[in-house]
Amino acid sequence: MRIPFISMFVTSPFEGLEEHAQKLEECAMVFQQAMECYISDDCERFEEFRLQIDRIEDEADAIKRRIRGHLPKGTLLQFDKFELFRYLGEQDNVLDAMEESLDWISIRSDLGIPQALVKDIKILVDAITNAIEELSRMVAEARKYFKTYSEDQRDHVKKIVHSLRRQEHDADKLEDNIKQKVFDTVSDPVTVFHLVRMAEIIGKIADHAENAGDMMRAMIAK
Amino acid sequence: MGAESYILLLGYIFGFYMAWNIGANDVANSMASAVGAKAITIRQAIFIAGILNIVGATFIGTHVTNTIRKGIVSTDILADPNLALIGALSALLSAALWVSFATWKSLPVSTTHSIVGAMIGFGIVAGGFSMINWGKLGAVVLSWVISPVFSMVIGFSMFKIIVKTILIKKDSYIRALQLSPFFIGIAVFVIILSFLFKTPLGKKLSIGTPSALIIAGILAGVLGYAGMKALRRFVKKPKTSGEEDIFRKIQIGTSCYVALAQGANDVANAIGPLAVIYFIVKTGGVGAKVPVPVFLLLFGGVGIACGIGMAGHRVMGTIGRKITTLNNTRGFSVDFAAATTVLLASKMGLPVSTTHAAVGGVMGVGLARGIEAVNFRIIFQIMLYWILTVPASAITSIILFKILQLFV
Repeated sequence: MRIPFISMFVTSPFEGLEEHAQKLEECAMVFQQAMECYISDDCERFEEFRLQIDRIEDEADAIKRRIRGHLPKGTLLQFDKFELFRYLGEQDNVLDAMEESLDWISIRSDLGIPQALVKDIKILVDAITNAIEELSRMVAEARKYFKTYSEDQRDHVKKIVHSLRRQEHDADKLEDNIKQKVFDTVSDPVTVFHLVRMAEIIGKIADHAENAGDMMRAMIAK
Repeated sequence: MGAESYILLLGYIFGFYMAWNIGANDVANSMASAVGAKAITIRQAIFIAGILNIVGATFIGTHVTNTIRKGIVSTDILADPNLALIGALSALLSAALWVSFATWKSLPVSTTHSIVGAMIGFGIVAGGFSMINWGKLGAVVLSWVISPVFSMVIGFSMFKIIVKTILIKKDSYIRALQLSPFFIGIAVFVIILSFLFKTPLGKKLSIGTPSALIIAGILAGVLGYAGMKALRRFVKKPKTSGEEDIFRKIQIGTSCYVALAQGANDVANAIGPLAVIYFIVKTGGVGAKVPVPVFLLLFGGVGIACGIGMAGHRVMGTIGRKITTLNNTRGFSVDFAAATTVLLASKMGLPVSTTHAAVGGVMGVGLARGIEAVNFRIIFQIMLYWILTVPASAITSIILFKILQLFV
């Protein structure tokens, strides 16, 4: 029996959004493992981690398509539909950037990195994974805000957006730091290029997380 | 037993069948938001809906019956008792058939529109197009457009009020508790007013408008205050979003409100034509103004309750699975909007669809950005079937009339 009352309720896109954010967290954990492996002396499992991220990315893509494909015309959301799509796209970019960094590293993964950079890269990777965890938390908290409309909850989401911005700023500084060190310690131009570009791509992950945060800020605007 | 007694028996059977269908189909509208928001269980919903549909049908339901019976189709047609008898019977049967067909084919139709269409069909075939009071019909059709809009406005405002006065505030739990007398009070106010005006029992008390308002106001205040006291006792303050827990309890009350309104409104769809048959058989003709006996309303109410009891589980199960994004503040707003619309319309003698009032309520809350995702296109689907329902049941009614004429 088709009951008009029931047909009005469409599955919330937030369900998919939260699922997608979880994939991000999952991916960040693997990313961290891959990076730790890469900067260690004998890394054998790097390729395995890279493929794992490829798989997670595929799953996340499926979620993204599901969200986009299951909002029939005429569906009213608590924010603009295209705002949602843009946000989703940016959240997906975070994942893509992680995948891209590992792809780039894999070109020369067996060569390792100079000992002087190990600590800095570790700090940068930690900063990135923290930002991703924060992003995932933001999605859950934003959903809670749309349920309660509480001003406290809105402030809470805004705080997370702020912290994402700060984390991006920190990551930027770490990235610059690494680049400086690369030029200071490495003389082989090919290695310099590889490492500098790596630092930039990893830095991009935080940029996308920050952008996603800003878009969420727009979504919760009154 | 004469032919007329057989016809009366048939009338009872068809009337009961129609009432059963109303219960089976429309229970979703009254209980959906409460069940969807997990305020009550499926079992409780069926129990509440069953009992209160009977109460609403019996004590608040009379006025609408008159309009369907005499408003749209001219009373001249009832001059020939034989014709009226066949007509009422075919109208009842065709409406019941159309609703069954719609249930089978999963079409979103309204039981109210089915019976109105069937009565029009009977009017046309028995007396020609001049028998139809087009002005009155226009008003009724207009009310079908107005009722969802009206319900939408109430739903929208109600949710906005809740957001502005409770949700947005720091101590939303405390605020919800403090304002609960207001929310309980207005529901009580509308119920009592609709009870005092134009019900047989209310008329016997013969209370004037000002004193009725005062009585309703006082009772609303007292019950609202008592409700707050009860909430204070029974709702423990949880760590987060305690306001939803308060509205969960209030929603038990509003789902009663909806069931009551539904019984009052929908019973006429089954009992209107039956009342015509009953009077012709008992008195040999239908006068200009004949009150519908309470036992017929009770009969209709029981029929609806049977439909709810027998088909309710299946419908409610679907609701529980499909509606996961509704919480109690939203559910309360939807319930309140739908019930108030239906009750007011029913008091004005307009046969509106409870389905459309409920849909309007959801739209209002959706427009107030209260629901994560609402599909507004359902309104076009509803409109399409609404336009189809009236001619379809009218034509069925005409055909049945012709067939029955051969036998009687």
